[in-house]
Formats: sequence, C-alpha cells, structure tokens
Amino acid sequence: MSITALPPTTTPLFERISESKKEDVVRDLSALLGAKYVLHTSYDLMLYEYDASIDRCTPDIVVMPASTEDVAAIVKIAASYNTPVVPRGAGTGLSGGAIPVYGGIVIVFTRMNRILEIDYDNLRAVVQPGLVNLHLSNALNPQGFYYVPDPSSQRSCTIGGNAGENAGGPHTLIYGVTTNHVLGLEIVTPEGKIVQVGGWTQDTPGYDLTGLLIGSEGTLCIVTKIIVRIVHMPEAVKTMVAVFDTMDDASNTVSEIIASGVIPAAIEMMDQMILQAVEADTHAGYPMDAAAVLLMEAEGLREGVAEQVEQIVAVCNKYHARAVRIAANETERQLFWAGRKNAFGAVGRISPEFYVQDGVVPRTRLPYVLRRVSEICASYGLRVGNVFHAGDGNLHPLILFDSHIPGEIERVRKAGHEILEVCAEAGGTITGEHGVGIEKQEEMALIFNEVDLRVMQQVRQAWNPHQLFNPGKLFPMPGRCADIKQL
Amino acid sequence: MGDIETFAGDLQTFASTALVTSEADTLRNYAVDGILPRFVVTPTNVEQVGHIVALANQHGLSLLARGGGSRMSVGGLPEQIDVLLETNRLTRILEHEAPDLTCHVEAGLTMAALQARLAQKGQWLALDPPDAAQATIGGLLASNASGPKRLRYGSARDLVIGLHVVQANGELSRSGGRVVKNVAGYDLNKLYIGSLGTLGIIVDANFKLHPLPIAERTLLLTFTNAGDAMHMVIALLGSLLTPSAIELIDSGAASDMSDFFGVHLPTNGYTLAVNFEGGAVTIDRQLDETRQLARKHAALMVDDLAGESQSHFWEAIREHTQGSVTCKVAILVSQVAPYLQTVEQVCRRHDLEAAILAHAGNGILFIELRPSDATPRLIEAIAELRSYAKEARGSLIVERCPVDLKRRINVWGEPGSDFFLMQRLKNQFDPNGTFVKGRFVGGL
Ligand SMILES: Cc1cc2nc3c(=O)[nH]c(=O)nc-3n(C[C@H](O)[C@H](O)[C@H](O)COP(=O)(O)OP(=O)(O)OC[C@H]3O[C@@H](n4cnc5c(N)ncnc54)[C@H](O)[C@@H]3O)c2cc1C
Repeated sequence: MSITALPPTTTPLFERISESKKEDVVRDLSALLGAKYVLHTSYDLMLYEYDASIDRCTPDIVVMPASTEDVAAIVKIAASYNTPVVPRGAGTGLSGGAIPVYGGIVIVFTRMNRILEIDYDNLRAVVQPGLVNLHLSNALNPQGFYYVPDPSSQRSCTIGGNAGENAGGPHTLIYGVTTNHVLGLEIVTPEGKIVQVGGWTQDTPGYDLTGLLIGSEGTLCIVTKIIVRIVHMPEAVKTMVAVFDTMDDASNTVSEIIASGVIPAAIEMMDQMILQAVEADTHAGYPMDAAAVLLMEAEGLREGVAEQVEQIVAVCNKYHARAVRIAANETERQLFWAGRKNAFGAVGRISPEFYVQDGVVPRTRLPYVLRRVSEICASYGLRVGNVFHAGDGNLHPLILFDSHIPGEIERVRKAGHEILEVCAEAGGTITGEHGVGIEKQEEMALIFNEVDLRVMQQVRQAWNPHQLFNPGKLFPMPGRCADIKQL
Repeated sequence: MGDIETFAGDLQTFASTALVTSEADTLRNYAVDGILPRFVVTPTNVEQVGHIVALANQHGLSLLARGGGSRMSVGGLPEQIDVLLETNRLTRILEHEAPDLTCHVEAGLTMAALQARLAQKGQWLALDPPDAAQATIGGLLASNASGPKRLRYGSARDLVIGLHVVQANGELSRSGGRVVKNVAGYDLNKLYIGSLGTLGIIVDANFKLHPLPIAERTLLLTFTNAGDAMHMVIALLGSLLTPSAIELIDSGAASDMSDFFGVHLPTNGYTLAVNFEGGAVTIDRQLDETRQLARKHAALMVDDLAGESQSHFWEAIREHTQGSVTCKVAILVSQVAPYLQTVEQVCRRHDLEAAILAHAGNGILFIELRPSDATPRLIEAIAELRSYAKEARGSLIVERCPVDLKRRINVWGEPGSDFFLMQRLKNQFDPNGTFVKGRFVGGL
C-alpha cells in the first residue's frame, strides 16, 4: 500500500515475470554487460525498491550499462521479453518516479556519470545522465562557471533524474528550472533506437521534443546524454535571513518583493517547526522562537546586489521583520544554506516519518494558503512544517507522522490531498518540481479535465504505446504490482 | 474533398455570430503563398473556435489559423486550405495579475496591445519580435517568434506557463497553468510553441511577466572584421557582464538600416550593438567595462544610445529581419565569424548579395539574400549555406521567400533522425489531417 490512494485494481498492465523467464533475461543481459553489472538476487535488489517517496516495489533485475549502446541493447532485450524498464538516477525522487510498480528491469546510470565535453566559448556542457548534479558545478567552478538548477538534493541527485523530473531548486527563481537549461538530448526509444533531439544550438527545426521530454518522468524515453547551458558565476552574492513574528508578515514580504519587480536569486521560507528542527541539527543560528524566517539571496554585479539588498531590507522592515541579518562572509553564508538544505534530514530527527507535499500557488495567495495548510493539518491532528521555495510560490509542507498509530497514514493522505485541493482552487498546481510519479496520479484530476489528460496520453501513446518504459505512472491507472508495500 | 456546403450550413447553426466569407475578393487578401482559402471564418469567442474546428474535422475539411497575418509565409507551401480561421476577434485580456507578474490573454490580441496594457502597471512580456502592431499572441507562439532580447529573457518556451488549445476534434484542452512553476504531466506548452498550428489552435495563453527595465542603454561599436567582433561577443558572454541583447550588423544590413529606417551606421566592417538594462549605476559600470573590452578587441566606439534614438534603433533591428529572402541560421557562437566568411564566399560564387543581422550572443543569424528573383542561384547558395550550418552543429531555415523559390526548395531542410517521433505525435494529435498540411517540417 502506498500513502496515496491506490487506483482501483483491475487487470494489471504487466504480469510479474516468472522465475524461468527471469533466468533467461538475466542470461541475455549478463552476456551483454557482464554478470557483475546485472543484479538479480533479492539481497542485491533491496536497495532499488524505493526512492525518497514512501512507496516501494522490488524490481526483478537491476542493470548498469556503460554506454548508450548498452542502454539500447538492454531495451531491445526487455522488449523481446515484454518486461518493463524503469530508468533510475540516484533515487532521490519524491513521487515514486523510479519505483518499478510492475517489477521488471531497472536501469541504473552509476557507470554513465561522465562529463563528456565542456565548451566555455559556447557555454555548453555535455553530460551523461548518471552525473551527480553538484559534480558538474564543481567541475566548472574553477573556471568561474556553474550549472544553474540546484535542487536541495544536488549532492546526490543526478542530471538524468533532474531531466526526468524537470527539477527546480532555490536558485531557479530568476534563472528558471531544468527545462530552461537543457538544449538537447540523446535518447533511447522503446524500440531501442538511439535518437538525437534538440542540439547545441537554439530553435532547432521541428517540434521542441527536448522541451516535451524534460519532466516526462521516464515514461517516454531513456535519456543517455544531456546538452546543458552553463553560465558565469556572479561577481557578488549577499545572503540574508529575515526573521518574522507571524507567517502572514513573512508571506506578504515575499509577494511584495516579487510585485515590486526586485527578483532576487532565491527566496526560501522556513516556519517555526522547521527552524526548531534545523537549529537542533545544524546550529545555523536561526531564532527558534520566530514564526518564520526568509532566506534570501541577491546576486550579480556588486552595485546591483547592494541596491537589491537595500530594497529587500526595506520590504522586510515594512512587514515588521524582527531582524534582518546579512551573512558577513562565505562561512556564514554556507551555514545559512546548510540549515535550509539539510532541513528534510533535520526533520527526520524529530519525527519517525514525514511526508513532503509539493504544491504551487500564485505568490499573492501564499498567506491564505499557508493558513489553510495549518488548519487542514490541525483538523487531522497532524503536525506540519513548511520549508519551501517561497519566491516561486512552491510550497513544501512536511507532514509528520508515525505509521504505527492506527489510522495515521489515512489521515496524512487525506490532509495531503486537501492541501492540493486548496492549491488547485487558489489557481495553482499539484506539483512544482517533484513530479506526479505514482504519488499524484489521482490528483492530476484536480487541475486537468478528461480532455486535458487524454491529450497528454496521446503523447505517451505516440512514443511508448505499450508502456514498456516506466508503466503505470502519471495518469490514473488500473492494477499495480501486488507487493507495493505498506510503510 | 470535404463537403463545403454542409459545413457552411452547420456553421450557421453552431457558430451563428462568427463572420463567414467566401467572396473571391476577400479571399484573395488571405492567400497563403498564393493559395486561396475557400472560406474565411472569424469566430468571436473560444467556444466558436471549437465548433468550427469540430465541423471542419467532421466534414473532412482542412483548416488553418491566422492571427495578424504577419508570419503566414513562414514554412513550406500549404496544401489545400478549406477554412482559414481568423483569430483577431479573440482579443480579451482575461487577467493581469500584476503582483504575481503573470497574465492570461486571448490569442488574437496583438503584441503591441498587450504590451501597452502591461506597461500601465510597469510590466512587459519579455518577447520583442518584429511587427508587434500586427502580430498576435497566437501567431507569435505558433511560429515561435523572438527578438534581440532573447539573450536575457529567453524565448516563448521560457515565458509561457499555460495554454488553452483547441484540438483537431474541436475539444478545448489545457496545458500548464497560471503559476510560474509546474511539472504536473507532460509539458505540452513546449510542443505547441513553434508547431505552426499543426497540432492544435492556440486560443489563449498564460505568461510569466517581467518588470519594465528601470533604464537601458546601448553601445554601438564597429570592427573591421567579423573575427574581432565575435571574439568580443565571446568575451562578453563569458564575463560578469549581463547584456540583454548583442546584435551584430554587417555592412549590407547597415546600409539597409540607413535607407529604410534612417539609422546611420558605418557601412564598412561590422557593427556590434550591446544593450544593458537595469539600474543606472550597474549600467554605467557595464558600459565602462564593455568599452574596455572593446578597446582590447580593436573596436571603434561609435555611439552610446539612450531614449528615443535607442528605441528607434532597436525597432529598426527588429523590423529588418523581414526581407524577401530571409534565411535564419542557428549555429554555435564560436562558429559565427567563420560562417560569415563562408556567406561572403558563397555569395561571391553565386553572384548574390547578403545583408546580415545576428543575435550574436545566441548564434542566430538572419541572412537576407539578393536579388530575390535569382531563383536558380539562390537555390544553390541556400543548399551550400545549409550544409555549412550543419557542419557547425546548426541549422538553416528559409523564413521568407517568394513562392517561386519556395516551390523548389525545402524551407526547413531535410528532417533529422527524430522526425519519425514528430510524425507519431502529429498522427496522434491530428489523425484525420484536419490542420492544413505542407507548411511544417517534413510536410507535417
Ligand atoms: C532532501 C531532498 C531535497 C530535494 N530537493 C529538491 C529541490 O529542491 N528541487 C527539486 O526539484 N527536487 C528536489 N528533490 C527531489 C529529487 O531530488 C529530484 O526530483 C531529482 O531530480 C531526482 O533525481 P534522481 O537522480 O534522484 O532521480 P530518480 O529519483 O532516480 O528518478 C527521478 C525520475 O527520473 C527518471 N529518470 C531517471 N534517470 C533517467 C534517465 N536517464 N532517463 C529518463 N528518465 C530518467 C526516473 O524514472 C524517475 O521517474 C529533493 C529530494 C530530496 C530527498
């Protein structure tokens, strides 16, 4: 069982693979990759039965290709046995995208983790999907460049997974999310064909397939190469923490900063529950008695940053900020960010389990929606903390729970659903960056009607008609793997 | 072909307030590459668009949407056009949520009208394509038009957050939404942008907006050769500076600009126009550092534009990309200088002249070839230029050309290895071929 309501179980898309068939598949795959790169014992597979969401399901086989040709050959083998294929990056996804709900073959990209090319004149890099997000910026930094999208999980998540989810991050507020930084892809189709889409240049003739594939959650193709844009590091960065006594003041500050047209590089919000958890964990120096803090960053040219900081501080003061602290140096700046980036982990220390939601609302509706979030959680007797990309209106309520308490999971599920209903009613969406996966299949109906969903399914029908790739995701689907486990 | 009489009758029933005309004189004004539609229908609301498309679909008629008509000549020759659906009555601004920096507008609104409204609240849609007075939102999105400031703000794909699109069966479907961040389901916005009406009719759009710049300035620099100019561009792009636009103007384009727009630039060598936006202090510093860089790259300072003269200059740049034979080339920035030399050689070989404007920071060149009636020579030159563009990891499309030439070339070039995937999408979205074929890549 999962934390989200399962769709009604009717005929499953795929039968679980039989032991004898599995032996055949393993034999073929081992002949291709070498036995070392084909995992199939239950001990070896355990690591791959979950991601950072709450669902799980064990694959039958895990393979580690070394090249695009390997991937294409794996796909052909899988197709010949009618066994589903699920691509997996680091498994940090929060919506179950990498979970093989019908079992089958999981492709892991740990061996395809190289930077293939960096071209500073043209501001491009070509990378393999298994490259860890932060490793790209680490490679670029010495030359003064970096790769913009910076999910809070960037120390472990992969660029392939980022492409799969169209990942965002704190600094995507002005610079845009993954899709705004990818120009081209090399992909493998369900027929095992290797195809180039987009390219090194802009406006390639034809449909914008790159744009369509980013965020397709492994349901249309397997990405084997990614051409990204890189940019110069800013000259100056100023990081500020503003402390507020009410959530409303903090949210109003966010929407006024945006409305005034001063768009900082990042505006992140943390509420009291999160502050307390973070302080206990990271000692970043956040006040534990504040209702909320905003972590904000201005970057660019020295003069511009100074101007922005002034404007931001003025808005904070207008909304009664108790204090605004500007990081004095890089160490302090890193400390401020460490608090934010470790927030999920910190919450893990105060609660056995938590469930992260991911809704988006128009920024002016933040005060209302945050109030509703706490009312909803209170009505179910659940504790909630908020740590999120406030500048984008992208909420991440963290609902704490303990699955040993009878009925608790059901309450968490209902609260999560109600929160998304509120986001949808406020003109927002059900996911800003974590994706639909298996978690939000039902919630798609909160924002899309039947026609909208049918049109989207035409795309899957065009590319992945038998759902060989990542079956049973994104849309309401009958019949899933019997062993999706209770928490 | 389809049953045009019953179509007209049904139209009366389902969309009685839509304007319908089949008068020969009027139709001539709507010809696309010389092909006359059999009907022009002008719906007054989105619901009617749905009815019209559904009826065309049911009667086996082919349909093409038209906004302001400024970019109808983009693409290959259309096959038969039974119904031309004109969107210019769909002009409502449904919402401008200024504090959220978003808006929601109907597709028939002109770009100029939208910008005027947004400007009242100190905002703009950060797209600066040509012909803002005539071009509509729907047409701009369908043809993925952009302008010099895409260097800073990106193109339509970076600014659209939601669309409503009438599907081939007449049903209305939404993609994206009203918020700036959204990963629910497939990102169909990207698919519709630039699809030239082959997948659906865009009827309204949600955009992410930007505040109008507090100030802006433009430096004009001249270089004796393209190599120096492009080294300067690469240095700028790899620096701390954040120009909003970098335009390269060759001597041919410079003389056009003085002939047609009264903008006087040196007509030998290359001019580089570098635009900065922001607060006065940051602009001043960026201008200073650009001047220093320019000196290192053997540039001559020509002018420093602000105010009226600046707006006039950029308007001339935008409108210049609208000649009789215009090739749009996208290549790597580092390849622009060698490519310019190639253009020169190719033109010499075929006794043609070129006038070139480039969004130099994006590697996008607009090459105007003349004379426009030298069809056989143009065919050869275009083929050569296209193959050089491919070698430079890029592409060449012919954005505008006389029909005579269009009949004899492929304006898009040969489709790539991903074409079969595009075809499958087209078959899913438009199984009966309701949307006029022939104009898009590979004849889609
Ligand atoms: C602590 C924490 C903080 C986070 N912060 C953020 C944040 O700030 N912003 C944000 O956007 N997300 C965030 N996430 C979510 C997650 O890290 C991102 O979704 C990330 O992009 C997933 O990358 P991954 O490599 O772990 O992919 P996985 O979870 O392994 O896979 C994600 C999806 O991509 C598909 N996929 C993977 N590789 C490929 C490929 N090669 N080809 C095709 N499809 C592929 C998978 O099938 C799956 O559907 C956070 C997660 C955690 C645990």
